[in-house]
Amino acid sequence: MKFRSNLERVLKSGYMAITCELAPPKHASLEPLKKKARVLKGYVDAANITDCQVAMVRLSSLAGCLAIMLEGIEPILQMTCRDRNRIAMQSDLLGAWALGIRNVFCTTGDHPTFGDHPQAKPVFDLDSVQLVAMVNQLKQGRFLNGQEIKGENPRFFIGATENPFADPSEYRVRRLAKKIKAGAEFIQTQLVYDVTKFKQFMYIAHNEGLTEKAYILAGIVPPKSFRMIDYIKSHLPGSCVPEDLVKRMREAKDPLEEGIKIAVELIEQIKEIPGVKGFHLMAIGWEEYLPEILKKTGFYPRPFSQDLLPEDTKTFSLREQEKKHLEEEIKNLKEHLLRLESLITGKKEIKEEDSEKVSITIETPKEKTTAVVEDLTKTSPSSLAPAKEESLTGEKSRLKVLYRSLSERAKGLPEDLYREPASGRIREVVFGKGDKALKVGGAEALPFHSFEGSLGQPLRIAMEVLDVVPEDFPEVLAKYFKDVWDDPGSWAKKCVEEYGAEAIAVYLLGIDPNYLNLGADHAKRVIEKVKKAVDVPLIIWGCDNAEKDTEVLREVAEVIKDDNILFGPIVEDNYRTLGAVALGYQLPVIAQSPIDVNIAKQLNILLENLGVPLEKIIMDPSVGALGYGLEYTYSVMERIRLAALYSNDVKLQNPFICNVGREVWKTKETSLPSDEFMGEAEMRGVMMEVITAVSLALAGGELFILRHPKSLELTKRVLNLLWTSSEQKP
Amino acid sequence: MVITELKPIEKIWQNIADFRKVLVLGCRGCSGICSTGGDREVKLLVSALNLIAENEGKNFIALGQTLIRQCDPVALKVLPEFLKEVEAVVSLACGVGVNLIADLYPDLKVYPGTDTLFIGAHVGFGVWEEKCRACGDCFIDKTAGLCPIARCPKGLLNGPCGGSQTERCEVNPEIPCVWYEIIIRLEKRGELASLDEIIGPKDWRLTFGEGPRKRQREDLTF
Repeated sequence: MKFRSNLERVLKSGYMAITCELAPPKHASLEPLKKKARVLKGYVDAANITDCQVAMVRLSSLAGCLAIMLEGIEPILQMTCRDRNRIAMQSDLLGAWALGIRNVFCTTGDHPTFGDHPQAKPVFDLDSVQLVAMVNQLKQGRFLNGQEIKGENPRFFIGATENPFADPSEYRVRRLAKKIKAGAEFIQTQLVYDVTKFKQFMYIAHNEGLTEKAYILAGIVPPKSFRMIDYIKSHLPGSCVPEDLVKRMREAKDPLEEGIKIAVELIEQIKEIPGVKGFHLMAIGWEEYLPEILKKTGFYPRPFSQDLLPEDTKTFSLREQEKKHLEEEIKNLKEHLLRLESLITGKKEIKEEDSEKVSITIETPKEKTTAVVEDLTKTSPSSLAPAKEESLTGEKSRLKVLYRSLSERAKGLPEDLYREPASGRIREVVFGKGDKALKVGGAEALPFHSFEGSLGQPLRIAMEVLDVVPEDFPEVLAKYFKDVWDDPGSWAKKCVEEYGAEAIAVYLLGIDPNYLNLGADHAKRVIEKVKKAVDVPLIIWGCDNAEKDTEVLREVAEVIKDDNILFGPIVEDNYRTLGAVALGYQLPVIAQSPIDVNIAKQLNILLENLGVPLEKIIMDPSVGALGYGLEYTYSVMERIRLAALYSNDVKLQNPFICNVGREVWKTKETSLPSDEFMGEAEMRGVMMEVITAVSLALAGGELFILRHPKSLELTKRVLNLLWTSSEQKP
Repeated sequence: MVITELKPIEKIWQNIADFRKVLVLGCRGCSGICSTGGDREVKLLVSALNLIAENEGKNFIALGQTLIRQCDPVALKVLPEFLKEVEAVVSLACGVGVNLIADLYPDLKVYPGTDTLFIGAHVGFGVWEEKCRACGDCFIDKTAGLCPIARCPKGLLNGPCGGSQTERCEVNPEIPCVWYEIIIRLEKRGELASLDEIIGPKDWRLTFGEGPRKRQREDLTF
C-alpha cells in the first residue's frame, strides 16, 4: 500500500500515532521552529504548524512546515478559515502539495477579536466543515467551483478537530460525524483533561462507527504551572478541567514534574479507551518536555522515524567560492599531515616554502615529552607559577604555528555548514564557601566548542587525600606524600600550597568494611583536620560501599554542613537516606551511576523527586582509566552531554565529576618498574593519568580528582591550551 | 427596521459650522421609530446647534423639518420648498436617505447626522438587536428561523464551533450561542437530522454583489 504521509502510514499500520503542535514565531526567522524540531525529531510522527493561533500574527504555517520538514519532521499544515477566502485557501493548498506537504488540518479558527489585530476583517468565507469538504474535493480532482484540476491535484491526508467538551455536548459526536462525512480522515481533539467526559464522547463515537471511519487522536496539553491550568479553566472557551487537577497543580511542590506526571497519567488512561488511535500533544512553548513524556508512556521510539530523514529536501548548494575554499583546506590538511609525519619520523621532506615554519615546530614535541617530567621534578614548587606562565606562552606561540584558528579555517564558508548550536545548557553547581567556592558547569556548547556557545565555568582539578596511610601507592607516587601522609591535614596543605590543587577530595578509604572498617568518628576527625588545614573547597568521598557510606556520611554531614562541602557518592541503593541528608543540610552531592545513561538520569530524577534540587547535583558517570574502560566512560559521558545539550534533556544537564586518580593508580601499569620496554615508571603513570583526564574533559568532564602532582600540572597545562585556543572565536 | 444612532453633536457641528443657514431633516421611517431622527430628535438637534452657534458667536441658524420617509423620491419631492437660503442639509435618516438626497439634488450639500448600524428588531425598551445581514439568500428555514450569519460572530453555516460553553458565545459571552439555540429547537421539533446535511459554501455574490445590489420587478416597472 502506498501512503501519502508518514502519519497515514503509522495510523494505517495499526500503530498509535503521536503528533504535536508547534507555533511559529512572531518574527521573520525559522530558527525557533528548527530548534524545536531538533528537540522533537524522532519523537513524533508529524507536527502541526499552527496558522496564526489565537488570531495573533505569526510566521505563516506554510513556511513553518517547510522549515521542520528540512529538519526531518513531517509537517501538518494547519489552515483556518479566518484569514483567507476560498481562492487563497485553494491556492495555498496547491502550493503546499507542490512543496511536499502531505497532511492538512482544517479548522474554523479563532475570531480576530481574540488576537492582536482585533480590528481585522473576519473572512470566514467557509467554515471548517466546508473547508474539509473543499480539500476532499481537491482530492477528487476538482476545484470548489467544480472545475477539473488539469494536472497534479493535491491529495492531502485530511485532518479536522472536534471539542468533546463544548456545548451542546450531545451534539458533538454528530458534528464529528459531519466532518468525517465531509472527508476528514484523522481527528485531533481539543485538549482533554476530563477523562470521564471524554470516555462518554468516545463511547458514542465508537458506537456510531466513527472510530472506524477516521483516526481519533486525543489532544493533550501538559500543564506547566498552576497559573496555566487556571487560565485554561477560566479563560479557554470550551475547555473542561476537573477541580482535582487544578488542586494538584496548585499544591505541587514541583509544578513541572507534576505537569509531566499528569500528562503521563492522562495518556495512560486515555490510551485504553476504545477508538483512541493516538495523541496530539500541545505543549504551548514547552516542547522540550515532550520527549520525557513520550519515553515514560512508551511511545518512543516511533515506528518509521528513520524513513523521515529527508534526502531530496536537504540540498547543500556549495557555491564556486566555497568549493575553492574547501579544496584549499584539504590541501592545507595534507600539508599538515606531511609535517606531522616528518615530526614523527624526523625526516625533513617538506616543501621549500614551508621549511621555515616547520623548522620551528620540529624540535619541540620530542623535547616536550621528556622535558615536562624532568622539568617538573627539578622545579621547586614555589617557582612553579611563573615557570608555568612562561612555558604556556611558549607553547602558545608554538601552537600558533601548528594551530590555525577556526575562523581562519572556516573563512569563506557559511556558518551554518559547521555551526550547530545547542539548545540546552548545563547547570552551574557551586561547592565550597565564600570567595574560595568553586562553580562548575554552565556550558552551552560541547567541550571546547566555543564557536557554538559559551563554555561556562573553567574546568577544575582537585587532589585526593586519604584518611589513612595508603598502602598501595607506587613509589613514584608515594614519594611526594610520604612526609605528610600520616596526617590528612598536612597532606591537604601540601596539595594546595605546593602543588596548586583547587580543591581537596577526602577519600574515606579507612571506613571500608572490607578494609579497616573505621567508624564515623574517625571520618569526622579526618575531615575536621583537613578543614582546619586548608581553605579550598572540599569533596568528601565515601568508600563506595552503599551501606557503610550511608552510615558514615549521614553523621559526617554534621561536620560539613556549614561549608557547602560536596559529598557522595550517592547511588541508587542509598539515595533516599543520603538524598535526605543533602536536602536537610542543603549540601551539593555526587550522584554516581555505573556507566549508564538511563541510570544516571533516573538517579537525578529520584533525587529531584526527593527534593534535592538539580542545581545541587554533580554526576559521577563512573570513570575507567586509560586501558581500563576509558572508552566506555567516554561514550556514556558523550551521550549524556549530547542529550543534555541537543535534546535539551533537563534531567541530564548537570556537570560531571571524574575521579581519575584512584582509577589510574590502581592499574597494574602504574606500579610496574621502569624498564626498556615499558619506559620510565613515573612518566608512564603521569601520562596515563593525564591522558585519562584530558580525554574525559573532551567528553564533557568538568571537575577532576587527580593524585600525582605532575599530572595536575600537565593536565592543567593541556586543558588551558585547549581552553585558550578554543576561545579564539571565529 | 434599519437601526440608526445619532452621531456625536460635535461631529455634526464640525461639518456645518461655517454655514449660515442649515436644515436638519428628520425621517419618520425607521429612523423615527428607533428614536434617532423623528420630530422630537429634529427639534432637539436644532436647538442644540443654535445654542452652540450662539456660544461661539456665529452668525448661524438651524431649521428643522421631518419627512415621512427619505428613502423614496416621492417623499423627497417637497424638499426644495424648505431650502430657501439653506446652505446645507443634515439628514437624520439612515444612510439610504442621505444617499438618495445626494443622488436627487447634486448641488445640495447633504451631511449624515446618524450612523447606520444594522437591520434589527426592538427587543426591549431602548434596545435593538441585529437579526439579519441581508445576505440575499435566506436559508433560515434550515436553522429554525434563527440566522447564524447575523447572529454567530464567525457566521458558521455548520456550527456550533468548539468554543461554546454554558450556552454562551465564546466571542461575546453577552450573547447566547445561536447555534446552541438552533440545535435545541430542532431537537425539540425532532428535526435535528436535517443538520446532518452539510450546508455548502455560500454564494457571496448575493451579499456583496457586483457593486450595489439592485432589485427590479418587471410587473411594477413602466
